[in-house]
Amino acid sequence: MPVTLRYPFTELEAPPEYRGLPHIDPKLCIGCGACVNACPPDAILRIDDYDRGTRKIVLDIGRCIRCARCEEVCPTGAIRLTNLFEAASPDRRDHIEVVELRLVRCKVCGNYTDFTERQVKKALQILPKEILEEEALEEKVFICRNCRRKGTVDATINATKEVVL
Amino acid sequence: MSAKPKLRSVWVFHLNTGACNGCDIEILDILTPFYDAERLGVKLVGSPRHAHAMLVTGPLTRQCYHGAKKAIKAMPPKPRIIVVIGTCACSGGIFYNGYPIYRRPESGREGCEYPRRGGIIELIEDLRDEGEYVGPVIYIPGCPPRPEEILYGIAQLLGLVEKKLEGEHYTEEVGFELPEAPINERIRLTLREKLRHVVGYFDRDKILEDFMELVKKAEESEKPKEELKKLIDEYNAKIRDVRISFCMRLLENEYWRVRDALSAGKEFVYWV
Amino acid sequence: MKYLEELKAKFGERIEEIKQLAHNQWLITVDKDILHEVVVYFLKHPEWKETQLSTMVGTDERPLRGKFSVTYWLSVNGNSDDVYIGIKAYLPADDPRFKSVTPLHKGANWYEREVQDLLGIIPEGHPDPRKLVLPDDWPSCVYPLRKDFHYSDSPQGEKYYPYREPPQGTTVHPIGPYHVALDEPAHFRLYVKGEEIIDCDYRGFYSHRGIEKISESRLTYDQICFIAERICGICGFTHSTAYCQAVEAAGEIEVPERALYIRTIMLELERLHSHLLWIGVACHLTGFDTGFMHAWRLREHVMWLCERLTGNRKTYGINLVGGVRRDFLDYRKEMIEDVLKKLKSEFGKLVDDLTSTKTFIKRCEGVGVLPYKLAHEWSVDGPLGRGSGRDFDVRRDHPYAAYGDLDFKVPVYKEGDVLARALVRIEETWESIWIIEQALDQLPGGDILAEYKEIPPYREAIGTTEAPRGENVHYVMTGPGNTVYRYRARAATYNNLPAVPDMLRGYTIADAPLIIASIDPCYSCTERVQIVDIESGKVRILKEEEFNKLSIKASRRV
Repeated sequence: MPVTLRYPFTELEAPPEYRGLPHIDPKLCIGCGACVNACPPDAILRIDDYDRGTRKIVLDIGRCIRCARCEEVCPTGAIRLTNLFEAASPDRRDHIEVVELRLVRCKVCGNYTDFTERQVKKALQILPKEILEEEALEEKVFICRNCRRKGTVDATINATKEVVL
Repeated sequence: MSAKPKLRSVWVFHLNTGACNGCDIEILDILTPFYDAERLGVKLVGSPRHAHAMLVTGPLTRQCYHGAKKAIKAMPPKPRIIVVIGTCACSGGIFYNGYPIYRRPESGREGCEYPRRGGIIELIEDLRDEGEYVGPVIYIPGCPPRPEEILYGIAQLLGLVEKKLEGEHYTEEVGFELPEAPINERIRLTLREKLRHVVGYFDRDKILEDFMELVKKAEESEKPKEELKKLIDEYNAKIRDVRISFCMRLLENEYWRVRDALSAGKEFVYWV
Repeated sequence: MKYLEELKAKFGERIEEIKQLAHNQWLITVDKDILHEVVVYFLKHPEWKETQLSTMVGTDERPLRGKFSVTYWLSVNGNSDDVYIGIKAYLPADDPRFKSVTPLHKGANWYEREVQDLLGIIPEGHPDPRKLVLPDDWPSCVYPLRKDFHYSDSPQGEKYYPYREPPQGTTVHPIGPYHVALDEPAHFRLYVKGEEIIDCDYRGFYSHRGIEKISESRLTYDQICFIAERICGICGFTHSTAYCQAVEAAGEIEVPERALYIRTIMLELERLHSHLLWIGVACHLTGFDTGFMHAWRLREHVMWLCERLTGNRKTYGINLVGGVRRDFLDYRKEMIEDVLKKLKSEFGKLVDDLTSTKTFIKRCEGVGVLPYKLAHEWSVDGPLGRGSGRDFDVRRDHPYAAYGDLDFKVPVYKEGDVLARALVRIEETWESIWIIEQALDQLPGGDILAEYKEIPPYREAIGTTEAPRGENVHYVMTGPGNTVYRYRARAATYNNLPAVPDMLRGYTIADAPLIIASIDPCYSCTERVQIVDIESGKVRILKEEEFNKLSIKASRRV
């Protein structure tokens, strides 16, 4: 009884459970970089450009070992391992997927911060509205780390001064 | 590969540059009944001198480097095709910057370049620098690639199929979606993390989605708790899977615990 | 453990500390001058028949206490309970030397050479202190596993390897590193007189990928599971399980029962595919290619099953510290049952075909005999040991995962020939099917992944599993900041390969490939850090290309 499959002369689909080629859904990705930290072979990169104000999440299928750790840690379900497997290509650039996101510009100093606009939106979605005032939040989240630290220090100094006076 | 070489029967030699054996066994596997690469004219030969193509696996260790170089030089001057099989050979894989792995000095050992460097390309570039001809290179990533994946790569080399993948570059212009779940996002994330410990990352999203739908229906009724219980009973009777039923019950308990605490304004741990 | 009293009585003051690491692991710290005595005392203990040297770990503990340390880990079998003993000695940082155990116990040879290569700890009195692990062009006096070495540095040195001087009147005949009969790179250097091989030198470690150093520096606990799985592409899951067990033992993480059962089922499925692969290769080498194709056709069903259960055909990637990542829903359980049913009917047929093929039997019977005494001396494990009458199986003697709850036989044959090894593997295949069936029936409910907080730093433990080829031992010393401080993996083939020369002696060259294959060697496993040395002279090894041809011819004669 012949058992040989007709592939590659026919189409063939891998089972739904198969951990195939990873793909980032650019509409869902917030650029938090959780996948970058989880990836064992450093197949996903996070490249921040503070001059242009962009963050690139770069995925290289040619480095990916298909462990699906990225899928496991992704908070928005943006990165997924599809059940596609036909990745053969003569050009390594075909294996690259780049998602370029805008960084937040600090309201105080005008420099770019180290988080994306989408991250802020996601964070605002999670934060409990009952506990925190939304307007106060809107003020605070768009400030970079340095300015925030400075703000806190200034506030503390002022407060101490008041106490002293 | 603009000028495609006219190829019918490719004779291949298998070159292991320190691979874990996974890809090597898959290469053997394409010769067995289900895949049978020999129907495409592929033949595994015993010496690089007889080979049109080199099937390369492994991350290219320094100890293998010299032997691999000699083996490629021993191939007939043309076509010298390199078929790169597996993630390690494509880019060094998980081992890419370990101390025994060969990398060209200009490739560096740590960096943010992309496409990621490493693997057999380091050797091919060295050879090209020396003035040796090396023919077209085809990359078949995977860890290990499925036998079908290797067949697909070889079929592409023979001109039987076209490549399907292209590099992608997205910017903010694609638009942003922040999906609103029917339940509070913090509760959803808490339940999602809980499910990871119960059924694992793979099945959790489907189960959670079904659960949220039931919650949505239940919240519309007057007695949500009783309604949810009833809905889940119905769901479980339909799905007939012990594990999914178990998860649904667990989710129900967790959901009310977290929600009651939330509405009472109590502090509690969200993330498990 | 009553034997500890005995030990104290014998060595008294010079035993510095005895502490229990996990329920079955003891660590004995001794003075460095008596280290070899204590190791040999346990190895030759009259009441522990199957005791063997499981692994040896050298650690750069200078950042912690200003000293190096070496630990010999022994797995104690025979008339005792489930016990592993580690014998540790600290060595001064400025002069790290210890007395070699190799002159007293052959099995310690590579362990000590490796420690010398990677850490610069010198085993005094070692009979063959050549380079073992590092590349030929690695500079001397650079020790990559020391903590002051950065993991991605790769200094260049002069390319040199001290091959042995050829014996008088012989010619050197090199084979490899790339050779038709070698699936993985390795270099043999034969010293021949005419057609006859007088001696043989060996250089391996072409697959040394620095896994331990990468694990200690670049990766976190969870990420190491995936690199551990890539130690070997055939038996990777046993490696990642052993690693997880080591961390779980060190961090006192309680793994949910369901996860243990899922691990057991996957381990046995892995054994099924590995044994079918081996049967195929054995058929091929005896010129019975029909058997090869049938065995691999059957194996494919197991591969497809694994793909659907875990998401990949090999490197399953479902282990994490504390449990597993994918659950068996009901439909997946049914798939396993279907495949097992298929296997049961077709594997029986395959075995019938095999055992009724005269050529196969004649080629295997009485060939490559490894008598019990030698098997014990070399500490061989797995089906090779069991084919030679060593009644030892990690699954039964040191139960891990869910094996403690399951009922299975450990097939042991006394003949010690290739046929015995084949029969052991065939019977183990049946046992695997039986184990999976039981585990499926008993599969408990509950979580599949444990919740744990921090893993406390600087705790040590080992994890062992029975791979399809024998005992896998992983040692872990936990470290700060979600990383391991020291990781050491030992694969089964490491203990098995040195016994090959003894098996070859006295047989025809045509039998050699089959004999070598009969231990199911796996270089990448062994070489993750370790390799074989088929030295010990007087071995007849021919060009493997000719082996294969002769091998198939011999079948025609039968």
